[in-house]
Amino acid sequence: MNADQLDYSAEVRQRFERAPGHGRVLAAPSERRTGAAGNIARGTRVEFEARVRQGRILECRFRAYGCPHVIAAASWVAEHAEGRRTTELDWIDPRALARRLEAPAHKLGSLLVVEDAYRACMGAGPEA
Amino acid sequence: MNQTAKAIYLDYAATTPVDPRVIERMVGCLGPDGCFANPASSSHAPGREARNRVEAARREVASMLGALPPEIIWTSGATESNNLAIKGAARFHADRGRHIVTSRTEHKAVLDTCRQLEKEGWQVSYVTPGPGGVVGVAEIEPVLRPDTVLVSVMFVNNEIGTINDVAAIGSLCRERGVLFHVDAAQAAGKLPVRVDEVQADLLSLSGHKVYGPKGIGALYLRGCPKSRLEPQIHGGGHEWGLRSGTLATHQIVGMAEACRIAAAEHAREAERLAGLRRRLWDGIAGLGGVHLNGDPERRVAGILNVCFEGVEGESLLFALRELAVSSGSACTSASREASYVLRALGRDDQLAQSSLRFSVGRFTTAEDVDRAAAIVRTQVQRLRALGPGSCETKEAAI
Repeated sequence: MNADQLDYSAEVRQRFERAPGHGRVLAAPSERRTGAAGNIARGTRVEFEARVRQGRILECRFRAYGCPHVIAAASWVAEHAEGRRTTELDWIDPRALARRLEAPAHKLGSLLVVEDAYRACMGAGPEA
Repeated sequence: MNQTAKAIYLDYAATTPVDPRVIERMVGCLGPDGCFANPASSSHAPGREARNRVEAARREVASMLGALPPEIIWTSGATESNNLAIKGAARFHADRGRHIVTSRTEHKAVLDTCRQLEKEGWQVSYVTPGPGGVVGVAEIEPVLRPDTVLVSVMFVNNEIGTINDVAAIGSLCRERGVLFHVDAAQAAGKLPVRVDEVQADLLSLSGHKVYGPKGIGALYLRGCPKSRLEPQIHGGGHEWGLRSGTLATHQIVGMAEACRIAAAEHAREAERLAGLRRRLWDGIAGLGGVHLNGDPERRVAGILNVCFEGVEGESLLFALRELAVSSGSACTSASREASYVLRALGRDDQLAQSSLRFSVGRFTTAEDVDRAAAIVRTQVQRLRALGPGSCETKEAAI
């Protein structure tokens, strides 16, 4: 295949290029949470880090190995996580995310990895 | 100028632009003042003139291969040539045996044709290439059987650019009385292709891989017209009844001119392309975690196939959209299936998915290569930085 066969929405292109929400959080171990899902060998791996105080997300960052839809989805989740409570999980709906990003149906599995990684992060206790 | 036009074209193994010298010859066969008549219309002068051009083209292509003109059969391209060679030979010689040998790294035009014959009752042995992706006698000889009627091995691998040992395989086949077909679509214009040296009985060529037009190809059939195949297209009896259909004079003339130019210039051009390929490799190898696919020495000048550690294939291809390059991974499928060629060479899924084929050609400049290398360096570093680190993380329970 070649690059001309790759068709992405404006939002995916923008998030892929700038990757807002990418990176690491600087936080004391008592406030830092991490979670990951996926497998590089299978094409998708997503990691989230969050700074959490009294059950509220102060900062969230992602790192991702995957297609542009995965990078865009992880970026969107990281940006929209801030200010939410860690117990709040229903706002991430991979199907709605797929519609928002205009991702083809076969990408849903990859977007589920993004959701799994976020849930793993929020389900994790503090590091210390 | 649109986005495609701005891209640096490094996909010459997929197809080439038509050389302006070829266009000039083709145009002379198209308009009302040109040589447009049906070459089969021998009852009038314009038809005979078209026939003369077709036969001159046949002599040109035959000369490039060291073949006799009647041994060249015009087709629509290498895919049709491969179909005619494999299905035509297998069906014509079915009473001698129903076993075929090919390699796992052939072009789909060969593999899918063999799969079709399997459905019809033939048995096919698919050999795995040796080290570096090269297919030689060591791979072919052990699977030959008394009922083997055909061996089909490509001259140059289209994905990784390695050169198979077709001369030795041809010699083995001749000794065993087995027909030998060579898909030379990627070899013509890049290497000397001589049917006597290769000892091929059948050899496929494509026009658009050698700066000729798309939609034209040829099949060499040793001993034609006495040698026979079962035709795949019927109607009109053209090409000794082996491939019916009105001959496309402009395409045929274009392919012949492209072959003439390639034969005249390939030695000098190969040296220049090898220099560009080395320049590109030197420009990206310093990134680290970059792996060359295929034998480093036994390869054609213009093709460089590499894998990148820590970079996902679809993202890489999109990040490099300023470059027209090919990816081996079928990332439009749900499984994002990695290149079957690279998997046959033992590459793991991650590396196979991140493979890119760069192929330089007649109109590639050193500036193109330098700019491409700079873009690759920037984007690979950026994507690696986006990727997971080594921090301790809690895994999702999935």
